[in-house]
Amino acid sequence: MSPGELGWWGVAIAILGGAIRVSTPYLFVSLAETLTEKSGRVNLGLEGTLLMGAMSGYGVSYLSGSPWLGVAAAAGAGAAFGLLHAAVCNLPRVNDVAVGIALFIFGTGLAFFLGKPFVQPQAPRLPTFELGGFSSVPAIRAALDVSPLFFAGIAAALIMRWAFVNTRWGLIVRAVGDNAEAARAAGYPVNLTRTLATATGGLLAGIAGAFLSLSYPGTWAEGLSSGQGLMAVTLVIFARWRALNCIWVSLLFGGASALGPALQTVGVAGYYYLLGAAPYVLTLALLIASSSRRHRLVGAPGELSINR
Amino acid sequence: MRARAEAAAITAGAIAVALAIFALFLFANGLDPLAVYAVLWLGGFGTPFSLQASLTQAAPLMLTALCTAIPARAGLLVIGGEGALAAGGVFAVLAGVAAPALPSALGTVVVCAAGAAAGAAWIAMAGALKHLRGVNETISTLLLNYIALALLNHLVSGPMRDYAVSLKPTSWSIPQAYMVGTLPGIGVHWGLALGAIACVIAFALLKYTVFGFAVGVVGGNPRAAQLVGLPIGRLTLLSCALGGGAAGLAGAVEIVAVHGAASNSLTVGFGYGGILVAFLARQNPLAIVFFALLVGGISASGGLMQRRFDMPDAATQVLQGIIFFCVLASNALYGRIRLFREPGVAA
Amino acid sequence: MRKRFGNVQALDGVSVRFEPGTFHALLGENGAGKSTLVKCLMGFHAADSGVIRIDGEARAIPDPRAAHALGLGMVYQHFTLVPSMTVAENLLLARADIAGLIDWRAERRGIDAFLARMPFSLDPDAPAVTLAAGEKQKLEILKQLYLGAQVLILDEPTSVLTPQESDEVLCHARRLADAGVLTVVLITHKFREVRAHAREVSVMRGGRNAGGGPVAALDADALVEMTFGERPVAGSTRRGDRTTGERYLELRGMSALNDRGAPAVRELSLQVAAGEIVGVAGVSGNGQRELVEVLAGQREPESGEITVAGRAYRRTRAEMRALGVFLLAEEPLASSCVRALSVADNLALRDFDAPPFARAGWLVDRAAIERRARDLIGRFSIRCAGPHARVDTLSGGNVQRAVLARELSGDERLLVAQNPCLGLDYGATREIRSRILEARNRGAAVLLLSEDLDELLELADRIVVMLDGRLVFATERAQAGASEIGRHMTGHHAASVTA
Repeated sequence: MSPGELGWWGVAIAILGGAIRVSTPYLFVSLAETLTEKSGRVNLGLEGTLLMGAMSGYGVSYLSGSPWLGVAAAAGAGAAFGLLHAAVCNLPRVNDVAVGIALFIFGTGLAFFLGKPFVQPQAPRLPTFELGGFSSVPAIRAALDVSPLFFAGIAAALIMRWAFVNTRWGLIVRAVGDNAEAARAAGYPVNLTRTLATATGGLLAGIAGAFLSLSYPGTWAEGLSSGQGLMAVTLVIFARWRALNCIWVSLLFGGASALGPALQTVGVAGYYYLLGAAPYVLTLALLIASSSRRHRLVGAPGELSINR
Repeated sequence: MRARAEAAAITAGAIAVALAIFALFLFANGLDPLAVYAVLWLGGFGTPFSLQASLTQAAPLMLTALCTAIPARAGLLVIGGEGALAAGGVFAVLAGVAAPALPSALGTVVVCAAGAAAGAAWIAMAGALKHLRGVNETISTLLLNYIALALLNHLVSGPMRDYAVSLKPTSWSIPQAYMVGTLPGIGVHWGLALGAIACVIAFALLKYTVFGFAVGVVGGNPRAAQLVGLPIGRLTLLSCALGGGAAGLAGAVEIVAVHGAASNSLTVGFGYGGILVAFLARQNPLAIVFFALLVGGISASGGLMQRRFDMPDAATQVLQGIIFFCVLASNALYGRIRLFREPGVAA
Repeated sequence: MRKRFGNVQALDGVSVRFEPGTFHALLGENGAGKSTLVKCLMGFHAADSGVIRIDGEARAIPDPRAAHALGLGMVYQHFTLVPSMTVAENLLLARADIAGLIDWRAERRGIDAFLARMPFSLDPDAPAVTLAAGEKQKLEILKQLYLGAQVLILDEPTSVLTPQESDEVLCHARRLADAGVLTVVLITHKFREVRAHAREVSVMRGGRNAGGGPVAALDADALVEMTFGERPVAGSTRRGDRTTGERYLELRGMSALNDRGAPAVRELSLQVAAGEIVGVAGVSGNGQRELVEVLAGQREPESGEITVAGRAYRRTRAEMRALGVFLLAEEPLASSCVRALSVADNLALRDFDAPPFARAGWLVDRAAIERRARDLIGRFSIRCAGPHARVDTLSGGNVQRAVLARELSGDERLLVAQNPCLGLDYGATREIRSRILEARNRGAAVLLLSEDLDELLELADRIVVMLDGRLVFATERAQAGASEIGRHMTGHHAASVTA
């Protein structure tokens, strides 16, 4: 039974499956950006970080035979990129948005430069949890074939939300991002905090890349990422800078991304790209509705250059 | 004078440092940096053929760089060149198809004007949102890039698709008569001249006209602009429209000089490359001409480097990224070098 | 407890003694040295000479941390809260010794117990951003107490509060002092607060002690005299006869908010005729800045009308030019200049788009701009490296001169000036005052807002007093008396008037 025969149910199942699969990288990059922006900086270069993560994850998985080592390598590469971003931003008179664009160009280039040897070979992929075993419908089984990284992402969101409230470090990150002057006066190191937050954010974005290359779609090739990293900034606005909201927003965006392909299976074609743009239109509409000439966006950290 | 010398010296220093870092990178990858740089020179600038290729790349980069540089004068960080270019390309094709029987020169002008107008309207939206609702222009132009890309892909794979072309989804073509040839003598299409002229005009506009002066005040200190009664909203909108118009023109030029029809070949990163060029040029339109050539040359040399060293052409992007980083980091040096300080006045 | 200072430039041998468990007010005009005194106390400045004694023991306070360690806490004029955090989180964050992993249950017990001991309380779970200004101020005080401060210095804490809010906050502070928990030092220029809340008062003027004692033993007139001194009505600048013309500027029912969204200008109405100087007296922070910003087009009024020459004034460039509106705002570099532009360009902000600087209406003639700049630099003795020097390389006084050169062009028919001589030397002050008078003598309507009463008494034809965003008193130059105006500035009389 192909999804097409399931009719509209097939569409719903495909969207559900797509939401779970496609949302994972969204979840990681949105958490990455949330952490970075909570500390008062914008990292527009997560796309480069993500691709570096995808490449190094794939490469290490191929060379070592262990996809989990690949994930670790991706996280390490991501953290290094976060450090690079932070180090340049720590210099005086440097615009964090521009540094992000530089990181985007550099990371994309470096990933494809170093990753060229890995385009052909097939690296071992991450295992999945087959939660659809109860059903005999292949579509449902495919939809519920869930990567452990999806659960890791949800755990990361829960941990981040908890840490923002219950750890010294979480409080300092929020203070630095919301009122750097007050944090400095209370004796907390502003640049160091931002550096650590940006590096940890990079780490998460690296894992997002590893998901792309080791889980879904699970290859290393050009065009692997469809701009998930660049979208992080938008996702965070949508999530109003809350870690838990990142889960829902990622599922929403993941589902929206799956909408076009799913509709194609039931013969509704011709709107593939437009449906793909729906999240951006939605975000723009949300921005327009919630912005004001007088006030900053609700929930935005006070030190964020991009929301002044 | 001193300020200009300072900018030139610091930028040159930053590029030199970037080249050194890239040399280390090449060395670490088992390549001979000197040999690579020799090939980079050869592939980007050293032969008439390679110079031609570089100039062909430089043409759209000049125009998309203006999309960042002109609004920057009004204090905005616009990164929507890619989207405006796509919008310009689509509307150029629409104009060409809608009015197929014009005299060839007039047809070209109409097609280019349509592209420029579409790009202008596209980025002006971001300007209007900024002024009316306070929507951050960097984010809105980033989103508009994606929306433009989606619209382009949608149109060329459906409503505007020419099914006679089977290789990949491509729109109808504009009349052959509207296509432009190459500049006499150098074999580069007319877009290069257009780009360079646009940069010179933009430079003159910002430096010598009432509009440029006023935009500089708005970008430099909006409160002072209010105090002297300048129309901030109108100036914001206009600077966005001019920048977007340049990027839209870049899209139209790609149509009339290269592709003849719209497809996803339009959006190959000229918009993002333009941001790099604008920052290298420190948002100065005249300097854009030079840096567009530099960046275009680096991109164009990718093919030759790939053939000579069997090295991925992404290497050129790595180099561009390193240069971008170094130039941004060099911002920290301004005012720190004694040679360039204004004499006799405390800093 | 005893603290003594001497001979800091801003402090000229001041001695103050704060008894434990008292509510002590430090009263004085702006620039009287109050802030400098407490900054020395908190370790921000080092005194050139003098001793600080705490419990009889001489102490060195090299930095704010040392001050905290000695139990000194200060609440600043601006809030130091993290807006998105809750009250409890803000309290905890202030402590330097939080554990890596926060045991919120224990911390909350501690905070709840602490709050229970306080005479006023706040919801520990409310985010700071949702608190009203008065509650934020309370949280700032709580923060200091939570840190274990025994001496609490309040630096004009009520400048951002409504009168009701400030009464409440100060009442609580006094209760803490009465209970012996705390010594409170209130820095203020508001007489009402001193009389209503303080036990002891020390008055400062020009960096010196100007009197003091138990508040109960001093009457209002004595305090006013100590603060402002006796002054003659000065009039050394040549002034032409007053030939008041037609009403030129009129404000009706003007209201505006400050940056925090609180009302700053309230239903203010005012008229200025051609050929007169209307002086607006008032202690800073009573809405003058917001009023000037509304007139400058830098702030949108909430309500009210502005009329210039009988027509509604929308603050456009065309109107400014046609009606001859010019403005000398505070902080000229931030409010009236473009840092990145040259002196010459900054001098041209008003007229770069008009002949002779704009040829054919759209081409800027740089040479003409530079020629004019050289002329103005000479005439107004602006010290700079030349017309091409960036304006932010100039000293503050010279930036001020550059803005004066631009705004006092000779074409002004309405001039709005706020503290035009602030920070300038004697010679420059004389010169600027005579230029303002010249403008009036030429028939310009002048609105002069100043914290310097001498300046107003010298220049103004009429003086109105601004308090809490309203005009509360009006007088003709002939009848003006410093002490009477001073009393109104400090809110001893409170009847709204229309000037």
